[in-house]
Amino acid sequence: MYDWLVEIHTASPHLIKALLTGLLVTTVCSVIGCFIVLKRTSFLADALAHSMLAGVVVGYLVMKLTFGQEAHAPAMLIGSIISGIITVAMIGFVSRMSRVKEDAVIGIMYTGIFAFGGVLVSLFSQYVHIDLLHFIVGQLLGVSDADLWMMAIVSVVVLSFIVLMFRSLQLITFDRVMAASLGMNVLVLDYMLTTCTAMVVVTGVQVVGVIQVVGLLIAPAATAYLLCDRLKNLLWVSALFGWTGFLIGYYLSETLNVAPGAMIVVTLTAQFLLVFLVAPRYGLLADFQRRMRAVPQQFVEDILGVILRADQERCGIEDLIRHTDYKAERIRKAVHSMVKQEWLVYVGDVISFTEEGRKHARRLLRAHRLWETYLQHLGVADEELHQRAHVLEHLHDEQAVDYLDDKLGHPLTDPHGAEIPEDFEHLVPGEVMTLAILRDGHRGEIVKVGSLIVESISPGDRVAVGVREDDSQTWVVTVTNAAGKESKYRFNHQEADAISIRLD
Amino acid sequence: MDSEQPAIDVKNLTVSYGPVPALLDISLKIDAGQLVGIIGPNGSGKSTLIKSLLGFVKADFGEVQLFGEDVEKAKGRVAYVPQRGSVDWDFPITVREVALMGRYGKQPWWSEMSAEDHDIADYALEQVRMADLRDRQIGQLSGGQQQRVFMARAIAQGGDILLLDEPFAGVDAATERAILDVLESTREAGRTLVVVHHDLATAAEYFDALVLLKQRLFAYGAPEHVLHPELLSEVYEGKLRIFANLQSGQAAGGGV
Repeated sequence: MYDWLVEIHTASPHLIKALLTGLLVTTVCSVIGCFIVLKRTSFLADALAHSMLAGVVVGYLVMKLTFGQEAHAPAMLIGSIISGIITVAMIGFVSRMSRVKEDAVIGIMYTGIFAFGGVLVSLFSQYVHIDLLHFIVGQLLGVSDADLWMMAIVSVVVLSFIVLMFRSLQLITFDRVMAASLGMNVLVLDYMLTTCTAMVVVTGVQVVGVIQVVGLLIAPAATAYLLCDRLKNLLWVSALFGWTGFLIGYYLSETLNVAPGAMIVVTLTAQFLLVFLVAPRYGLLADFQRRMRAVPQQFVEDILGVILRADQERCGIEDLIRHTDYKAERIRKAVHSMVKQEWLVYVGDVISFTEEGRKHARRLLRAHRLWETYLQHLGVADEELHQRAHVLEHLHDEQAVDYLDDKLGHPLTDPHGAEIPEDFEHLVPGEVMTLAILRDGHRGEIVKVGSLIVESISPGDRVAVGVREDDSQTWVVTVTNAAGKESKYRFNHQEADAISIRLD
Repeated sequence: MDSEQPAIDVKNLTVSYGPVPALLDISLKIDAGQLVGIIGPNGSGKSTLIKSLLGFVKADFGEVQLFGEDVEKAKGRVAYVPQRGSVDWDFPITVREVALMGRYGKQPWWSEMSAEDHDIADYALEQVRMADLRDRQIGQLSGGQQQRVFMARAIAQGGDILLLDEPFAGVDAATERAILDVLESTREAGRTLVVVHHDLATAAEYFDALVLLKQRLFAYGAPEHVLHPELLSEVYEGKLRIFANLQSGQAAGGGV
């Protein structure tokens, strides 16, 4: 590498020009590529690159036929920008106005315009001297002075546009609706960005060719995207990856004596894969590590269940190992993480709940027993109840459990005769709830009485809930009205649902 | 602020995407200082109405005026909180940067954001209790926290009209409380609020007036008039569980 650097100092202007070109082009490509990645318009960028051919040929032809000038760089640049914009405008228009979706429209338009360029090249082959091969694979080593000037101008224009309009570009990329509501002209900004992309693509094609130019745009930006959490950093880091990709790729192409364009794009992709593997937050290894560290929900819940069913809600690690199917090592790890989470207390060799842990465990037990009751209703064999409920208990979101509870008529015990924990999520003193979820011993004040109720009770009356009757299908309450008169009423489930009570 | 003009005046608004009309001949006026909820089934044009009020979608026919001014000219007076699902949560942007976006309309594009702008954005984050997480990337927040960040952006913008697209969808109780607090204080400051909402059970409790929408305007007025069972069953086409809940008054917790 050192020798190579020395060679740059001493040797050919050819090499210096190639390096200069490469660094300029990768800078603008990487920076504008960030917006392409964020706007998810990679395919559109590819379309822009291909459509360029038609513009280059037309630009060439116009200058040749009217002024007799060969390969006039600015004319070809302007031609490709115009053909790029026409392509994007047509894609936008057709996908808005027809039911054909955007990706299909892009496919149609860009191949069509690219092919049209190809037709023009053949048709006017005696006037146009465009080497299609160079157009397709790039010609980093054949960059003319005029090309280099053009690239410098493009770089300055595009970079100043991005720096000056940074906030606007950030906003239209992130939230178009808000951008419009602030009075930004979203459409014009979009076209300005497209124009910049078209210009950048033209320069990129010189280096790596039309097929690989998308790699030059996207790869550095996507690599940086795996590392950055701010747009400003993304632009910087992307440019950095553009440079390293170019320098390493170019160096390899010289030493291996292969086409520089291809080698550069291969390097850019390799860079991306490497970062994808090792990125600290969004990388594959980091993800793998997170997975390894995480304790599955089901696992946590099974441990809570074992402790809740243990004598005095205390047990040792051995009990957990005996009552679950998991390996001892994983159980130790899970208990450790649950202690950290403040669900469990682990003192000496005894594991017990914290307040929070007990609440989770009870929620789980309630779900388990309600599921058992429900499965019995469905006619599932008694000996299968526990195993199947054990799987289903992990579906314990509040709404699902409350729905089951209501469907089953708020049962008090499960099929094995064990008590189903009450609905402690809703049974909070001072809250309003229906009579149906209350149990023996609850007291409160009536807030609302539905039209279903014929008995003479009214809001403000005091209520004491008694033991349920008829296989717990009848709610028995003692009501004390404003005059102090006590009366006993019996309600079915529907009626109990119609009475709202504020719990003491 | 001109007190005689309604804050929002929609006249015969018709919007379509391709051949399908999203909104048909909507006319309604909302006075300044009102807290109005928009309800209607999925795909009924609620978000389209919000986007029309923001000047983001073009009307085929009809017009939208804000404080007597065409919506195109009233830009920046309307702040909005997008639907959670429409935001790219992987976007490289931090909590603080999102809040600062609320100030983007205040500075011309060529000049830097001022220290005052930064202070206002930070203060807005404090109001929604998100100041501690200001340097987090937005994808690393919980759903409720994400919602609050966008509330902060709207507060920082401080427009006369605040539009919120389903702010209560899938948020925790703390965030719901925080959002309601912000709605309340915003209204007390004399601003107009329009909120897309889809939980009929809480609609009456939260809003001064409701707009019932399904392409056409089915009803607009006080909640007790709009939440009429017959009207709702016509618009919602027989999702009857909701109405049973509404009638028996055990609406709490019974979402759609």
